Amino acid sequence: MDNRVNYRAVFEKTGSAKYISHLDLNRCMQRAIRRAGLPAWYTEGFHPHMYLMFALALSLGAESMCETMDFRLTQDMPPEKVMERLNAALPEGLQVHDVHTPRDTAADIGSADYLVELQTEDVPKLAAEWESFMAQEQILVEKKTKRGMKEIDISPVIRVLSMTQEPEKIVLRLRLPAGNEGNLNISVVTDAFKKYAEQPFLTAKSIREKIFCHNGEVFF
Amino acid sequence: MLKNKVESVIMEVQKPARYMGGEVGSIVKNKENVDVRFAFCFPDIYDVGMSHLGMKILYSLINERENYWCERVFAPWTDFEEVMRREQIPLYGLESYDPIRDFDFIGFTLQYEMSYTNILNMLDLAGVPLFARDRGEALAPIVCAGGPCACNPEPLADFFDLFILGEGEEVNLEMMDLYKKMKDEGASRSEFLKAAAQIEGIYVPSLYEFAYSEDGTIASVTPREGAPAIVRKRVMTNMDEAYYPENTVVPFTEIVHERVSVEVLRGCIRGCRFCQAGFLYRPFREKSTETICKQARALCDNSGYDEMSLSSLSTSDHSDIVHMLDELLRYTDERRINMSLPSLRVDNFSADVMERVTAVRKSGLTFAPEAGTQRLRDVINKNVTEDEVMRTCAIAFAGGYTNVKLYFMLGLPTETDEDIIGIADLAQKVVNLFYDTPNRAKGKVQVSISTATFVPKPFTPFEFEPQVEAEEILRRQALLRNAITSKKIRASMHVSEVSRMEAVLARGDRRLCDVVYTAWKNGCKLDSWDEYFDGEKWLAAFAECGLTPQFYANRTRSYDEIMPWDHLDYMVSKSFLIRENKKAHAAETTPSCREKCSGCGANACLGGACF
Repeated sequence: MDNRVNYRAVFEKTGSAKYISHLDLNRCMQRAIRRAGLPAWYTEGFHPHMYLMFALALSLGAESMCETMDFRLTQDMPPEKVMERLNAALPEGLQVHDVHTPRDTAADIGSADYLVELQTEDVPKLAAEWESFMAQEQILVEKKTKRGMKEIDISPVIRVLSMTQEPEKIVLRLRLPAGNEGNLNISVVTDAFKKYAEQPFLTAKSIREKIFCHNGEVFF
Repeated sequence: MLKNKVESVIMEVQKPARYMGGEVGSIVKNKENVDVRFAFCFPDIYDVGMSHLGMKILYSLINERENYWCERVFAPWTDFEEVMRREQIPLYGLESYDPIRDFDFIGFTLQYEMSYTNILNMLDLAGVPLFARDRGEALAPIVCAGGPCACNPEPLADFFDLFILGEGEEVNLEMMDLYKKMKDEGASRSEFLKAAAQIEGIYVPSLYEFAYSEDGTIASVTPREGAPAIVRKRVMTNMDEAYYPENTVVPFTEIVHERVSVEVLRGCIRGCRFCQAGFLYRPFREKSTETICKQARALCDNSGYDEMSLSSLSTSDHSDIVHMLDELLRYTDERRINMSLPSLRVDNFSADVMERVTAVRKSGLTFAPEAGTQRLRDVINKNVTEDEVMRTCAIAFAGGYTNVKLYFMLGLPTETDEDIIGIADLAQKVVNLFYDTPNRAKGKVQVSISTATFVPKPFTPFEFEPQVEAEEILRRQALLRNAITSKKIRASMHVSEVSRMEAVLARGDRRLCDVVYTAWKNGCKLDSWDEYFDGEKWLAAFAECGLTPQFYANRTRSYDEIMPWDHLDYMVSKSFLIRENKKAHAAETTPSCREKCSGCGANACLGGACF
């Protein structure tokens, strides 16, 4: 009777969907699975609920091309069929790109790549400020801990993959630690730079592009 | 593009999803193919407005018409309002991001009096002149309103071009059809309003002149330019044929009621004399079990919600309730949907219904005896006896419930200290009953008493009654608090200052428009939120306008006084209300409509008896 088949959906969270908080995303996906008419597996016990797991939280306002959601069905269905039904039930901005059997676990996650576009009037100046921002010995940010606020240095963990100047914006590709052991939100980096830079800018885009495991493979 | 501008600042505010649209079920159309655009405005924040059933019905209804487009608009919370004013972002429709000042209709729903200042604030944010007289002769936008508080719209009359009385399913479309025709003909605003006043259910306040007597009461109301002397509300006569949506907008962010609402009936057979809804929505009309199940299934399947609520004034009065619940439970059990029944009555809460509700969820149980003694319950015609309350609680306790919530009102007509102490006594008896129940659930019993201050409302037998002064209400609250001795009883009491302002606005006349305007000017908004309500500012507004709240709230009105709403016809006759008022003072009850017709007059629209 207790038949459960594990699935992992890889989906984008773009456009208006970036304003859905992590908590609301759970609710939103549950409803989509119900609308899709998929035979979801529910936990047992006094308060059964639909089993849903999101590997990695995303900051409110950030977009992503590689969010994952694990769920279980009580019947074995072809992944393409599951994806098709989900996409028909999901709004624009929350489309599923792939459905497969999970290989890695959330504990395997080690880092993630981000694409950030900072819109500004003086591109060369902002680019120069970015260089000097990253050249600092320390980049101190405030972090909320259980025992109040703590200052931490984020400079050692930010890896700049590239920085290019384009009309009216600079484009950054960054690799940041992700997962259970030391996660760094992309908004922490852009906020720290906003405080540092004299040249005003607007974070026009902030997209998580890929999630990697500790061993360097793409999270699957 | 307004959307880009909003996006560039939206992360500064809490819960940005409130302001972004794009939800599942929201309807986006191509402007090029749309003839008439309607901004459906709920004068409170998204979280509250999105839970409202009437908006869901009318939103879908209008959008069924290919060439009409209805969008949703809500009041921003203060953080976003600040940003909107700073960045000069006008109030926009959530579907198109177009400023609503460019729409054909700006329509508000009037659900409660304390939302009135939000209306002015929203018109101001939209960049639309607040006073109807300042809107000129251009046809658009027509600012209109409907909903329960439209039964006495006078305190808002100066701000609106027209009001829609009663149920909107037909009249809204008739109004939009007329508008489209006259827009094509190049009509002016006043030409349209004059023509619209001929549609049954449409009240154009500028076509009625008020004269006042020296004592401040109304001397006469005179219609102009062919407007009807009496405007009658609209009623859907067949609920199985009335439009009901199969789809609903499913918000991304958490709102007040996260669930599907299935309307099971309209009107009420009970005739509780304090209850405005019980008279406004007459006559009693129910949907068949078949219709209810069909609509429930469609809404659940299309929305993905896992909770469903049966909506009505008194769900257990449905003639087929047990069978209906069985049918619904077969579906909801299979789909893991929770069913909630918010409006059950004590007296017909049978073991049969109980069993079915328990099958759904064992949370708290809520009753509204409204008054502490049988005498006062007879006065208000809440035909519930202490025996019935006890019997129902006994069933509930035996069924495993441990929490009981009891709702009461303070300041009801003829209330004495004995009636107030009676509230505490009743709660104590319920506590004792729990411990006398042999097979009760483990754990402690919790009886919560909640008291609201009575607000006399138009179109009820108590429309003539004074509201008890705020200071006296405070004394009565203290009296009740002192009469409670058990720790198993928890009491919470509604702020009486707010209730006083409700009483003023509910029965106010047209002169109050200036008070509402002045209060808003002085900074009143979000008045239904405790942290924002500022009674001092309201009182200052009265003083500035040379009026007193006492005149409206605390005065006994004679049976022959012309009420500000006497030219509006909600199908319950004034002679019926007077009859009921006299019976109240004699503590005489009136049986439910199903037992015996009391001749209120509402059956006229059905062309015969209700039952």
